[in-house]
Parts: sequence; structure tokens; C-alpha cells
Amino acid sequence: MIKETALYDRHVKLGAKMVDFHGWNMPLYYTSIIEEHMAVRKAVGLFDVSHMGDIVVEGSDASSLLEHVLPSAVSRLDSGEAMYSAFLDANGNIIDDTIVYKINNKKYFFVPNASMIAIIFNWVKDNSSGYNVKLNDLSDSISCLAIQGPRSKDVLDELRLEFSEQFKFRYHEAPEYGLNSITGKSEIIISGTGYTGEKGVELLVNAERSPELWDSVLEKVRKYGGLPCGLGARDTLRTEKGMLLSGTDFNRDRNPYECAISFIMTNDHDFIGKENLIKDTKEIFRGFKLNEKIIPRHGNQIFNGNENIGTITSGTISPILGKAIALGFIDRKFSKSGTAVKINIRDKTEEAIVSKPKIVP
Amino acid sequence: MTKIPEELRYLKTHEWFRTDGDIVTVGISDFAQSQLTDVVFIDFPQTGAKKKAGEPLLSIESVKSAEDIFSPVDGDVVEVNKELSDSPEKVNKDPYGSWLVKLKKTGKTADSMSAEEYRKFIGE
Repeated sequence: MIKETALYDRHVKLGAKMVDFHGWNMPLYYTSIIEEHMAVRKAVGLFDVSHMGDIVVEGSDASSLLEHVLPSAVSRLDSGEAMYSAFLDANGNIIDDTIVYKINNKKYFFVPNASMIAIIFNWVKDNSSGYNVKLNDLSDSISCLAIQGPRSKDVLDELRLEFSEQFKFRYHEAPEYGLNSITGKSEIIISGTGYTGEKGVELLVNAERSPELWDSVLEKVRKYGGLPCGLGARDTLRTEKGMLLSGTDFNRDRNPYECAISFIMTNDHDFIGKENLIKDTKEIFRGFKLNEKIIPRHGNQIFNGNENIGTITSGTISPILGKAIALGFIDRKFSKSGTAVKINIRDKTEEAIVSKPKIVP
Repeated sequence: MTKIPEELRYLKTHEWFRTDGDIVTVGISDFAQSQLTDVVFIDFPQTGAKKKAGEPLLSIESVKSAEDIFSPVDGDVVEVNKELSDSPEKVNKDPYGSWLVKLKKTGKTADSMSAEEYRKFIGE
């Protein structure tokens, strides 16, 4: 059966085009993907990302378990800080990427992708024997509202919510919004995170009470020229900024070096996947800029002459550039920014220029 | 609810068309534009191109996908809506005002549906 977030009725009332996204009935767009995209770049956008997971790891071995299942130095986080990381399999390939939050020395939580919640929960659980921890999947009781864009702080000011800087989070006492199952207190978590490349926050709140919070936030978002935004804009926004999409850009077939996220490799301890992790992979994750509006799609092949040198994993229009852009993996020999390559798109061959994954600065 | 004007005919592939004498005007339905998401590029055929009923007439690139648009008749392309080259989003905003191609009919017409039949076909 298809799942709905606590905000489903709000989306329908706003006239959203709903789609099945990995088993979730989610808004693809309300009016137009491109208009919503531009609202986030120029003003502010509000997204329902409640389909994302929330898993709490609690106990005296919480940080050592996380450093067993993640290649990142989780123990270096201060309370109230978060970091980007990824779960690796025994071959060092990424199962899912995530954000890990430190509440205190004995309590952390992380946010897996919607389609990966059960898989990651079981993965961590299966690898937790001998660790004194308790794992709790709270995904169904938490809503996540992302407020993204240059005016996001103005929206928070209007709501008397304090802004959180990037990868910091804070708690806002709010009895009217009910118990937050992550903290066990009546509060909203305000996290300086997002998936758009813009300044912004994500609010983690009791799911049942979240429609009222959605209404209050949306009113202020509109006041600053913003819009409610669907998953369509979320995808075009993250693609412009070269942010990986789990299950699309990688699917247990690429490691962090290949995905150009070696910055997450900060863990000196033994972690799952470390032994088999290859640093000098043949291919690396890159962006591709086209001079046309013909969009490369997942699976299209990249060529240098007749030589197949890579594969496109994501493609879209860049509303900022007004041209097609793509992400994918290319032979390191051709990965330098500015290199001209060809991409086969259906019955056409289009020229493209290699860029860093962050295509739009 | 999806807009489906009474006076037009519809194909199973979600094109609408209107016949005035031997000129057939073609566009895509409101349902089609909402499924496609934002239209960003229309790959128009050359005027003079000969098309067959039920075969690809042109392709539309949207944020989500690239789709072929099929010809409702055997005919020659006499005009394309060049205005849409600079503002393809008009197909989303006004799918029935934003015709794509005009054909001069030279042969058969593909099987088509009335507005009522088309509404049933898309499950509304």
C-alpha cells in the first residue's frame, strides 16, 4: 500500500500533482517545477520531506557503533552538530548516504533516504552485536519540513524560531506542537541542513501536529515571495549543486572516492568496507554542461570519439543556466573540468563539457 | 479536474486535434502536460515533412522525460508553432491554446476518441 506523510491533505488541497516516490505518495510539483526551483534560488521554498527516515541510536556505545558502520569521525562531533556521511558495504560501496546528528555522548540520530529506511535500520542492527546500544526507527512519528532559500532566515524570524547555521542544530521549546519522539520533549528540532545548496533549515516535528506548522510556515514563505515546492524542484536543485541521489547516482556499486565525497573519509578506526575500499577507482563523479535543452537521462553513455568513457546517472534542465545539465561517472582521464565529451541521448549525439559535480556555483 | 474541451478529438497517446477542412491542428492534452511536467524544449518537424497517422510527429523534452508526440493523420506539416520555441512553458499553462503543428491531411485518420471517451480513458 502506498504511504502518505502527515501533510498529504495539505498537498492535495494545494492542488499538487502527486506521484509514487519509492512507495510514498508525494507532491511532484504544485504549479511548475521551474517556478518552484527559482523561488528557492531567489526567495524561499517549503518542502515536505517527511518521507525521509529518523533512526535514533542510544546507549554507551552509540558513537563506537556509528564509527563501525560509517567511514566518518562521528566521535569528533560536538552535541548539536551534524555531518554528512554514508553507509558502506563490505566492498566499500555506498548503500545509502545520510546525515548523522549528535544529541549527546550517548545519543545520536541519523536520517536515511525514504527508500532505504528498513534496509539501513536492519543493516545497522545486524552489525550492532556486542555494542551496548538501542536502535529506534521513529520515521513514522516525525515530519520534516525543509525551508530553503536566501529568505529562509526571514521566515524563521517571523515565526520566532532561531536559525541554525550549516550542520548545526538546536531545539525550540514548543508545547503546542506536541512531543518530539527523537528528544522525548515538546520541541521542534531546527537543523541547518538541506538538499538544495541554499541557505536553509529543516524542521523535525511531531508528525500529527505538523500540518499546523506547515500552515504557519507556508504563510510566511508566501509573504517573502516563496512557494511550496515539490520533489521535482528538489531534484533540479540538488542536480545543479552536484548532490548525489541515493538509488539513482549510486546503487551499491560506487564507493566514496568514486562519488567524489572523499571528504567523509575521516574515520581512523576500522569500519565496515575499509579493507576493500579502492581509492584510485577507474571512474569519478562529475557534472556535465550542455549547450542545448536536450536532456541526458539516467543510463545514457558518454563518449570520446568511439570510446565509451562513462555513464550518465542524473540529468535535468538547469533553470539557472537555461540549458541541460547532467551528473554521472567518467573515466578519470577525461574528468578535468572543461574537457569536451559526447553523450548519446536517444538517437542524437550531443556535446557536453565536463565540470565539477557542483555545476552551478 | 483535468480540462478536456468537448469540441476536440483525442488519441490514446494523449494528443488533441481539430480538423478545419483539410487542415488538422495538433496539441497535447491537459492530462499529458501534467504528466510530462515542465516542457523545456520542442523538437519540431520541418515544414513539408510527410507524416503518417499513429507515427511520431515530433518529440517534447520535459524536466521529467522526453516523449514522442504522434500524428493523428497522414499528412504534410504546413506550420509549426514557433512561438513555443522561446516559451515552451505555454504548453503547460494553456495546452489547448498552444497548438504544436498544423498538417494538411493527405490520407487516413488514426482511431480517436470524443472528449467523453477520453475522460473515461484517463480514468476520470
